[in-house]
Amino acid sequence: MAVSMRPAGDFRLSYAADRTIFPSRGSLVVCVIGLAILCILPLSIAGKPLVSSYWLALVIQIGYYGIAALGLNILVGFTGQISLGHSAFLGFGAFMSAFLSGRHGVPVLLSIPLAGLATAMLGLIVGLPAARLKGLYLAIATLASQFVLQDFFSRAEWFTGGASGANAPPVVLFGTSLPADRGYYYVVLAFAVLMYVFAANLMRTRDGRAMVAVRDHYLSAEIMGINLTYYRILAFGISSFYAGVAGGLMAHYTSFVSAEAFDLLLSINFLAMVIIGGLGSVMGSLLGTAFILVLPEFLQFLVRLTQSLGVTQSSGFTEGLAYMKEMAIGLAIVLFLIFEPEGLAARWRKIKAYWKLYPFSY
Amino acid sequence: MNSTLFLQLVINGLIVGALYGVVAMCFVLIYKASQVVNFAQGELVLIGAWACWWLVTSLGLPFWLSFPVCLIFMFLLGVLVQVVVLRPLIGEPAVSIVMVTIGLSIFFQALLKWLFGVFTQPYPPVFATSSVKILGLNVESAYLMSLVISLAIMLGFAWFFKYSRMGMAMRATAFDQQVAQSLGVSVKQVFALAWAISAVVSALAGVVVGLVSGVSASVATVGVKVFPAVIVGGLESIIGAVLGGLIIGLLEGLAQFFDAEYLHFGNLITIAPFYAMLLILLIKPYGLFGTRNIERV
Amino acid sequence: MKRTRLLMISAAVGLALAAPAQAQQKIRVGNLVDYTGATSSVGKITGPGKVDAFAWVNANGGINGKVLDFETVDYGYQTQRSIQFYKKWKDEGAIAIQGYGTNDTEAMVGFIAEDKIPYFSLSLSGHLTDPSGASAKAKEGKIKPAPYNFFGAPSYSDGVRALILWAAEDWKKKGGQGKPKYIHLGDNHPYPLAPKEAGETLARELGFEVVPSIQYALAGGDFKAQCLALQASGANYAFLANTTGANVALLRSCATVGVNVQYLSNIWGMDEPGMKATGKAVDGLVLVAGQAQWGSEVAGMTTFRAISKMSDPAGNAYRALPYVRAACQVLYMAEAMRTADKAGKLNGEGIKAALENMRDFVPFGTTGMCPAVTWTDKDHRSVGSVSLMRARIAGDTDQGEFGDLMAKGTMKLETFADVKIERKPEWLGF
Repeated sequence: MAVSMRPAGDFRLSYAADRTIFPSRGSLVVCVIGLAILCILPLSIAGKPLVSSYWLALVIQIGYYGIAALGLNILVGFTGQISLGHSAFLGFGAFMSAFLSGRHGVPVLLSIPLAGLATAMLGLIVGLPAARLKGLYLAIATLASQFVLQDFFSRAEWFTGGASGANAPPVVLFGTSLPADRGYYYVVLAFAVLMYVFAANLMRTRDGRAMVAVRDHYLSAEIMGINLTYYRILAFGISSFYAGVAGGLMAHYTSFVSAEAFDLLLSINFLAMVIIGGLGSVMGSLLGTAFILVLPEFLQFLVRLTQSLGVTQSSGFTEGLAYMKEMAIGLAIVLFLIFEPEGLAARWRKIKAYWKLYPFSY
Repeated sequence: MNSTLFLQLVINGLIVGALYGVVAMCFVLIYKASQVVNFAQGELVLIGAWACWWLVTSLGLPFWLSFPVCLIFMFLLGVLVQVVVLRPLIGEPAVSIVMVTIGLSIFFQALLKWLFGVFTQPYPPVFATSSVKILGLNVESAYLMSLVISLAIMLGFAWFFKYSRMGMAMRATAFDQQVAQSLGVSVKQVFALAWAISAVVSALAGVVVGLVSGVSASVATVGVKVFPAVIVGGLESIIGAVLGGLIIGLLEGLAQFFDAEYLHFGNLITIAPFYAMLLILLIKPYGLFGTRNIERV
Repeated sequence: MKRTRLLMISAAVGLALAAPAQAQQKIRVGNLVDYTGATSSVGKITGPGKVDAFAWVNANGGINGKVLDFETVDYGYQTQRSIQFYKKWKDEGAIAIQGYGTNDTEAMVGFIAEDKIPYFSLSLSGHLTDPSGASAKAKEGKIKPAPYNFFGAPSYSDGVRALILWAAEDWKKKGGQGKPKYIHLGDNHPYPLAPKEAGETLARELGFEVVPSIQYALAGGDFKAQCLALQASGANYAFLANTTGANVALLRSCATVGVNVQYLSNIWGMDEPGMKATGKAVDGLVLVAGQAQWGSEVAGMTTFRAISKMSDPAGNAYRALPYVRAACQVLYMAEAMRTADKAGKLNGEGIKAALENMRDFVPFGTTGMCPAVTWTDKDHRSVGSVSLMRARIAGDTDQGEFGDLMAKGTMKLETFADVKIERKPEWLGF
């Protein structure tokens, strides 16, 4: 089903205008400013850091999860497939990067892209049979691949260290290892910017448009000469590449990879990020990731607020709030989907359109 | 070859598989009627288990009274979920609907943990004899009860879908929503009814699992076994779902046998259904009993 | 646009409110609990234990007058979240962390050693007991040196060794013929796997025949197939390595199948709520206790009643075994902090030094409840003997809370053995 990409009143008058990544000067400026802010975030002024380690850790997490979510969005949003096994690919990338750099001494900045390529190979293999399936069958096939890969992780001692997990060494640049968070932040930022630019460009090319065509009406696409199977498999490969890179970044950040982290719940979280952010939108992947990761923080803050408002810090109360936090996450997903089915990106577009067309709001 | 063990595992597999078949039946019912993939099926089973447990222990009602009350509650819950959560999403892409059922499952899991705690709770003994010997294997009476009831349900379904008006309306909606609607079938009512029936039958499965191993969050794990069962049996067929469940149960028993006697992997029993699922998806994607979707240009 | 306005306002409010809290002039300690995640059936008991112990310490003079500013976080057994909170607490100047389970503890061994922050865990894995890397396992690269990890309880490996030593005696007493068969039952996860090798090695040394292990999921389910396999294996002693939730299901399934085996359980594998859920099937199970049960006639019980009153003013709650274990960890930490403070070194290294000076130490007022611990800078195996309990069920357990059932005597836990475990050098880190 085609999701309307632009609200009424927003026209493009030339092919060049249609192809741009930034629809207006304004969005380009905002993007540049945003990047500048992100660059100075980990710095300190007069010895005191601008942002605490905790929030920096959260931003780093948004960074690499955002890359993985973007990969999933390419598969689900742009090509119309569905994947419930995304976290298994993330895990494969993480283990592969730890394996290459830990056991074989490949420099970390090289092992992360290599891990991405290896995961892309895996994605192509998984995509081969998956390209023949549609809808629910595809979802279930990816669910099966999730369980099968997880089983592989916990058994393949030579690769993953089995149940005890693998160690991933820190990044070493020109002989010195980067200061843990503040240094690694830039690595993640660089990769994230690269991957996002790549995705945005991908959507401008012929291949990108072909994938969108496959999503919107595959019969017509086939009639026009687009090879459906090729593009579906390609979409799996590309999304797995993203997941692999994200996994590598995650591995070297936490410096310890364990098979337990890559379970079905994480795959579902990725799907939530993509849907809440907006299917088929590059910026939406980032917004959705930020939403899903900041939501528990916000709720935790509410918990802390109620605790500090004089209510005793008794264990019973904290427990009840812990459950309410979980319920709130599930509820947030449900409410979002009921009231905002097209995601945050669409809502953002509508906000922009509102201001652009004021006072003729539609 | 240890033939006693083999026979025991086969029988146990079939008995447990019958339960998978019951849950798979509920799943397929919802999918056939409203094209919704219900990832919250396991949670519906769990809600049924907890609701009945609460009625029996807290209100002290005897089992033969609390069980029907629980079923009525589940019927209403099914209707409520469909009306509140799924009706606004009619027409949205399938992925959103999948996500909403996942969100529901997260919500229900946390709610039940809050209401009933995280400790496993046992059911009070309901049957005079807790287990019965079948061909040398001790089988809990709860499973026999579920076999009897699910047979009755299947016969009931067969009659319902073939001869009753509502049943035919559901079949029509499953076949083509637009045409059914144009003929005067209230598609909304059909959807609500499908969810309600599915919730009621899930409660049966939940009570059985609760009687056997106690009620805890692990009851919901049967919801994951549903997927191999419906894939093997075919998504479009209720009988196929039941048979799929039996096949998966049998497969688990065989996997455990070969694992324990020869292979010593340890977890073949958990992973075998998913490998089987992948195999079926590659060879016969519509399942052993499903219908081929013919695409018309 | 009403909906958009509402969204924008709530987003603005949310972002404004979500600013981190100001650090305060107190002793910052982090506290991880699991109320909603995979191990919540144990976490729900240990969490309140730790919170109540913190509150009790603060209500009774704190750390030489200073208050413990502890933050309790439910991290849902997700490693990522635990790492994030650790970084936050490190930033806020925390000098100790009360951790929780295997996944977070193992992930943080490296971080805490680098940052010099003592980490008390409820994960009692033998892999955490080598602080200097001198053990055989560390030299093989199988484990990391863990200088800042502490736990005041028998490790999983020592627990299974105690059970096997007892089982060898039991076999002789029963007049068993030939070699007894030992089997390890557990899931393929770090927590159940931790004691597997240790148990099987010792079993072989003592003349047991070690049967191939059987897996059953931590999450629970119907385990009759595994029970049939267990029955067919002919094992005499079966070690259950999972947590309570899965063991309840396994014991019930195996009772139906009619398996005749002596069950041995890990320290987190059975507790009073689990006994209630399992019913008659748990009768006779031998478990690693590590400390006395609630209501024992020991001096320490008075202190623990006071601790329990922190969240239960009426004082009627019966606290399951894990509660006491968790509370003891906080008390060891508090005592070490007092010593470090008196020496003028109230920081991570000071606390570590204080802990590593403890010899057969019992926190003040807890005699009989918390085990006597000894830590050295070369050896973090804190206890030298492991107490074993036997579960006894006298009737139906489906009516009433587990506390009432224990009080009535329908459920009983009998401490019947105190097995000495030598601190052998080859068992360090193993």
